[in-house]
Amino acid sequence: MQPTIKPAGDSALVISFGEFIDEEVTTKIHAIADAVEKAKFEWLVEVVPAYSTVYIFYDPLKASFSEVKAAIESRLQVSPESFKGRLVEVPVVYGGEYGPDIGFVAEHNGLTVDDVIEIHSKPTYRVFFLGFLPGFAYLGGMDERISAPRLEKPRLKVPAGSVGIAGKQTGIYPLESPGGWRLIGRTPLRLFDPEREPPTLLRPGDMVRFVPIDESEFREFYEREWGEKND
Amino acid sequence: MIELLKVPSLLTVQDSGRRGYRKLGVPVSGFMDDYSARIANHLVGNPGDAPLLEFLLAGPTIRFNASCVFAVAGDVEVKLNGVPVEPWTSHWAKRGDILEVETLRGRLYGYIAFAGGIKCESLLSSCSTYPKAGLGRPLKAGDKLNLGYAVLTGKDGRYLPPELRPDYSSKEKTVRVVLGPNLDHFTEEGIETFLSESYTVTPESDRMGYRLDGKAIEHSERGADIVTEPLLPGTVQVPASGKPIVMMRDAQTTGGYAKIAVVATADLSIVAQSRPGERLGFRAVSVDEARELLIRREKTLMAIKDFLDGKMHAYRIKAGGEELIAFTKVEKE
Repeated sequence: MQPTIKPAGDSALVISFGEFIDEEVTTKIHAIADAVEKAKFEWLVEVVPAYSTVYIFYDPLKASFSEVKAAIESRLQVSPESFKGRLVEVPVVYGGEYGPDIGFVAEHNGLTVDDVIEIHSKPTYRVFFLGFLPGFAYLGGMDERISAPRLEKPRLKVPAGSVGIAGKQTGIYPLESPGGWRLIGRTPLRLFDPEREPPTLLRPGDMVRFVPIDESEFREFYEREWGEKND
Repeated sequence: MIELLKVPSLLTVQDSGRRGYRKLGVPVSGFMDDYSARIANHLVGNPGDAPLLEFLLAGPTIRFNASCVFAVAGDVEVKLNGVPVEPWTSHWAKRGDILEVETLRGRLYGYIAFAGGIKCESLLSSCSTYPKAGLGRPLKAGDKLNLGYAVLTGKDGRYLPPELRPDYSSKEKTVRVVLGPNLDHFTEEGIETFLSESYTVTPESDRMGYRLDGKAIEHSERGADIVTEPLLPGTVQVPASGKPIVMMRDAQTTGGYAKIAVVATADLSIVAQSRPGERLGFRAVSVDEARELLIRREKTLMAIKDFLDGKMHAYRIKAGGEELIAFTKVEKE
């Protein structure tokens, strides 16, 4: 599997394996991103992985496209096993006011609410990459038995920490924002905090497991995490 | 300290932007027109990337609660205590003075720099405002800002002659681009349309992106949507409507529309300074040409900095029938 390397303007290049979503390719992408970051090239600005592409941002005043390309080519033959993400457990209170659409998701798939919780909290999800909003993780590995269409009319305000389902995807809103995903629960964890280093709970390549908790655990956690009560 | 008395439009603190957080989904932000902003900083003796005020069209009214040197970059009427003073020039203000900055002519973003820079809370190693993620907020009347410590020496009276100022007054601008990286999502005809037509900047344009209107760009059978990929400021995305969108400094870090081109870094300021209703044309250059343009622009900017520091002379010369500016080193006696 040989990727192509193309310019994305004069300050970035894109390493592309094609256009598809495949866990094996994503693993390879994380290994390449990691190897390029570790090489500490003096022209390197930052590395951004996505599903089947890695963007390398460089300083064009320090190196030309062909110099960067030549240096990168020597880092492409990394073993996908060379990079291991962390395992992050994300506590979630499912249903009720925290997950108002869980009933819909259950009914839509001919399941009970408890089935949805069990199916959603069973797998280990891979953080393919972050984007869309600061701290928003594109997760891979949701069981299709709980997939559900987006809302016809997006909510104007979805609270930070809301866990949702859209089609075959699941994800967590890092910030309060408008949104059209079916909400099934909420985590008290802070996914994006600009005063922390790094500012996001999840990073590309991490593994995520959702752990069901009850409301009192949520409140306790929330206060610790946000330094305020959730009323 | 300075106090904002009137804030008629979007006013934010910006610096050269955030680096190193894009993989966590955090946009770069920073100066929309980095060339003008860096000149504003050099006018008051700051490093080019120091935090300053960026305003959209109309400038604020400011009271100085301590003496300091300031400069305004932009073709705009500036008054100090009601008396007109020159833009593109550094001036002393003393305690109690009132600075009024009116509405820009021929551009969209203006800059006000203060010697020592604006002292602000650096979040993720930048003072750039990105309100969506709680990284600062737009400024409003009544806000007070502290200035960084600056040695009180004569940095006023630095003047940038009109010949050395960036000129964005043309209503038909040509922007150079590097084609790609999703060219296979466009037909040859679509690419030809993009490079031969001109596009009007629409009012639905902001720090995140400029939506353009004009002849629709044709997609190939691969269509307008791609598997989500990273994107960067200057990227020209074309959604299914065929109308291009140029992503700007607050662009989200990833996107799902095919990218026909990326604006050469050296020309991104031209896009930033284009008002709704103005037209942009696009011309393809190679990645090496785009880099050459940037290297030349950086050299000019460094020469301007040295000129303002009194280390360079600037001359208007004629070469091959073209008016050019040349710089020579100031010889020390």
